[in-house]
Amino acid sequence: MRIDEPGNLVPKTVDQNSCLPSIVINGAKLHAETFGNPNDPIIFVLHGGPASDYRYLLNCKEFADNGYFVVFYDQRGTGLSQRFPRSYYTGIQTSFDDLNGVITHYRKSPTQKIFLLGHSWGAMLAGAYINQYPTAVNGAVLAEPGGLKWKDVDEYVKRSRKMDITGEALNNATYMDQFLTGKEDEHAILDYKYKLLASTGDENDNVGNEGLLPFWRPGFVLQDVYFNILKKENSDWTPHLKQFTTKILFIYSERNKPYGLDHAKQVSSAFPNVQLFETKGAGHDMLSFPTGWKNTHPTILDYFNTLK
Amino acid sequence: MKHKIIIVITVLLYSLCNYCQAQSINWKTLKDEDRHIVNLNLGIDYGIIYGIGYGYHLKTKLPVVLNAEFSIPSGNKLLDDYKTKVGVHAKLLEMNNFAVSVNVNGVLRRYENTLVRHLNLGSTANIMIGYYGPKWYVNGEFGFDKAIATHFKHKDAYKSNFPEVKDGWYEPTGGNVQYGMQVGYSFSKSDIFLKGGKTSAEDFKTSPTIPIYVQLGYNLKLK
Repeated sequence: MRIDEPGNLVPKTVDQNSCLPSIVINGAKLHAETFGNPNDPIIFVLHGGPASDYRYLLNCKEFADNGYFVVFYDQRGTGLSQRFPRSYYTGIQTSFDDLNGVITHYRKSPTQKIFLLGHSWGAMLAGAYINQYPTAVNGAVLAEPGGLKWKDVDEYVKRSRKMDITGEALNNATYMDQFLTGKEDEHAILDYKYKLLASTGDENDNVGNEGLLPFWRPGFVLQDVYFNILKKENSDWTPHLKQFTTKILFIYSERNKPYGLDHAKQVSSAFPNVQLFETKGAGHDMLSFPTGWKNTHPTILDYFNTLK
Repeated sequence: MKHKIIIVITVLLYSLCNYCQAQSINWKTLKDEDRHIVNLNLGIDYGIIYGIGYGYHLKTKLPVVLNAEFSIPSGNKLLDDYKTKVGVHAKLLEMNNFAVSVNVNGVLRRYENTLVRHLNLGSTANIMIGYYGPKWYVNGEFGFDKAIATHFKHKDAYKSNFPEVKDGWYEPTGGNVQYGMQVGYSFSKSDIFLKGGKTSAEDFKTSPTIPIYVQLGYNLKLK
C-alpha cells in the first residue's frame, strides 16, 4: 500500500469524497455542518489548532436546542476541508476572508445576529477577526486563546509543551521521523505524521484534559505556515479591540496550569468589556469532555441569551 | 572464498533491507589479530539513544568487519521502540594514512505510541573518507537511511476516530540522509569516538524534528 493514497492513513477530504457535507467559500471546498433553525441567531464555531478540526467541538450543537443556528466548518486546509499548498498561504487574512465568506453564506438578513465561539486557535481567530472588523459580530466567546499578540502565544505554547528530554513523550514525538518522511506536497503523510507528533502520550496531561480528543485530520501545512507567519510578523491583533464595546465571555480552565488566571487576565485585557469565567474540573478542552461541558455550557448559554 | 560468499550475501541481503549510522572504526589500529569489537554508545539520533554493538573482524585480505547493533531511545517503556542493524563494514581503499570505507546494514526497527505501532524493514549505507593514525582518526561521513517497508498496526484510540484506516504493509515510507564528521582517539585496545552531523529528509528540503545526530562511543578490541 502507499502511504500517500487518500483514505489509507487519514480520511478523504471533501474534494476526494463527495458524500461529505461541504460548502464552497472563496474557491475552497470546506467541510461544514449546521444545526438548528437557519433564521435563528447564528453561532459560528471556530476550532483550534489551527491544524485541528471541529469534531471535538460538536457538543456545541446543543445550542441549536436553545434557539440558535449553529455552524461548524473545518478551516481551509484542515480536517475534512480541501487542502492547499504551502505557497497558497501568505497571511491570516485568508482565515478572515473565509470566515467572512462563511458568514455571508449562512446569514439570511443583515439583522440576523452573529456570534463567534472560538476555542484555542479559534479564539485567537475570533479575537483577530473582531480586531479587523469591530462591527461585524454581536458577541463572542473566547475559550483559552493562546494570545492575541505573538509574545503571549509564544510564552503559552512554551509553557504547555515542556518535555522531559529523556522522557517517553519526547521520544514518541521524534523517533518516528526515521519511519516516515513526507515531501512538502505529500499532505497525507505530513498530516498523519503531525497527528503522531502531537500524540506524545502526555499531551492531554500537560493541559489538564480528561482524555484523548476526537479528531478527523490535522492540517500540518496550515499549522506550520501560520505559526511561521505569526512569528515572523510578530502579530498583534489588539489595536482595534477597544472599539468592540460589547461584553465578551472569556473562558479559562482550572486544570490547564500553563494557562491560568494571570494569562487569562493578560490576554483578555485588550477587550474593554470582559466577563472572565473559570471552568472548574476541566482542562484546555473544556468544551469537549463531560465535566467541562457541564460546567461551561450554562454560562455560555446565559451569555448568548443576554445578547440575543 | 567462503568468507567472500558470506560477505556478498550479507551485502546483498541488507542492501535490500536497510542503511543508517555507520560503526566507527580506526582502521589504522585494527590489527589482524583483533577479532572482536565490542561497542557501547549513546547520543542523539531521532531521540536520546543508548546502544550496544558487536563487530567480528574477518580474516580476509580486504579489511572487513561484520557488525550487529542494537539501540533503544530513552523513555519509560523499555522495548516499545528499538532499532537493530546487521551489516558489513569494509575498508575499500587506503593511501598512506587515508582510507575510504563503506558500511552497509539491514535494519529492523519498531516504534509505538498511543495511536499506532510501526515495524520497519530498511537499509542504510554510509561512506566514510578520512585520516586514520595510530592515535587518532578523523573522517567525514555521508549516509542514506531508507525505510523500505513498514507495517502499520493502529490502536483503538486511532481506529475509534478513523475506523477505515488501513493496517498492513506500506512501501516505501521514508528516507533520510545524514552527513557529518567523526573524530576518535585510540589507546591500548580501545577507541573513544565522537560523531555528529546533520539529518535531513531525502528531498534535502524537509528535516526531522531533531535535525542533527550526535554519538559518543567506545570500542574495545579483543583477540
